[in-house]
Amino acid sequence: MNHKKSLDKHSFQELYKEHANFAIRSAMVITRNPELAKDAVQETFIRVYRNFSSYDANLPFEPWLYRILVNECNRLLKKEGNMRSYPQPNLENDERLSTSSDGNAADLIEAIQNLEDLYRIPLILKYIKGFSEKEISDILELNQNTVKSRLYKGRQNLRQLLEMTEQEAYLNEKHR
Amino acid sequence: MKNIDEQVKKALMDQTSAANQMEPEIWSRLEDELFAEPKPADKKVKKMKKKIIPLFIAAAAGILIAFSFQTETGMALIDRIKEMFVPEKEVVQSIEGMEEETNVQLNEGKDAEYVIYIDEDRYKMIRGEGDKPDVITTKEELPEQYPEVSMTIEQIPGTAPDALASQYEEELKQEFPDLRPIEKVTEPVEGYQLHGIKNGGMEWDDEVVHAYVISNGQEGSFVITERYFLEAAEGHGARFYAMLQEFHIVD
Repeated sequence: MNHKKSLDKHSFQELYKEHANFAIRSAMVITRNPELAKDAVQETFIRVYRNFSSYDANLPFEPWLYRILVNECNRLLKKEGNMRSYPQPNLENDERLSTSSDGNAADLIEAIQNLEDLYRIPLILKYIKGFSEKEISDILELNQNTVKSRLYKGRQNLRQLLEMTEQEAYLNEKHR
Repeated sequence: MKNIDEQVKKALMDQTSAANQMEPEIWSRLEDELFAEPKPADKKVKKMKKKIIPLFIAAAAGILIAFSFQTETGMALIDRIKEMFVPEKEVVQSIEGMEEETNVQLNEGKDAEYVIYIDEDRYKMIRGEGDKPDVITTKEELPEQYPEVSMTIEQIPGTAPDALASQYEEELKQEFPDLRPIEKVTEPVEGYQLHGIKNGGMEWDDEVVHAYVISNGQEGSFVITERYFLEAAEGHGARFYAMLQEFHIVD
């Protein structure tokens, strides 16, 4: 899509259609809360519409959009209270977030949501939208090597968490 | 590891499939926020406001005239203010990239040394008593988690702006170590500008100071200090900027 320097309603709607779905998915996982995710995506697109003239059309659009999105998610989480105090089970218990959850999928989600944000957010950007290390480094305004190392450590931690969950499940089964 | 990548991706996509239903809802909210036509009721209110303004002007003029008979100095000052400024006017200001029409009201500073137009729907002026400066702040008190939002206006009669700007820079650096170097500006007022953000501006609520040191038209200066937080830069920051465009020293 060709992003012009100002947006009329039609071009803005096209842009929204092109990017909203993955933006909403990412916000749902980052915030662990669908209502907050809606607010974050709404605010993000309002900012995109109002500040489109400040977007440098020579640079890729999506890192710009997701930089705003991640900042909005963090801002709303902080505004709501302490990020850590957010009820984690939301993601598993909210029916909008659990249309098909076999045990393994639920474990995977739990494992990823239990990671520190340091690793969790780069992994969410990688898994949901398929961003490259370079794009994630642009979005999070981090050095590319830092992103590379966080993705690596994040995946290692994820694997360890999964192994622990599987081991627990095995022991529970054994002692029944 | 590749297998885990694929499993995690699939699990995340399955678990967030409600995004498809949320998409139209968010678009509808965006349409309301960005493209909705003003409701008929809004138009009515606007028309009524226009009718009210002349009445307001008449009432304000009456109060000013009544006051002007009290003392000779008061009379002279008020006459000058009356000649120069209307009590209420509509200004267009740019807030978060959108042009916004706002009614602003004439407010007189301490000892009638200056006047400024304030959007009284959002802000109020607390006139400083004794040595205290005038403070413009939000009409409704902000919830506790928000940092201070205010604009302080103080006259320092004995110190010229260049000397005062350097002194003030040192003072502010104690609180804002990353204060930017002093800049000379011509907008919204002509003078020296100081700007600093706490903690490198990484968080929405990082405190911001934005100050101007300008000439008082004689030997001294006015110091105008805005305080808000990072997220409010495009809101309160822009509104303070617009107010200062309507800041006038009364000679």
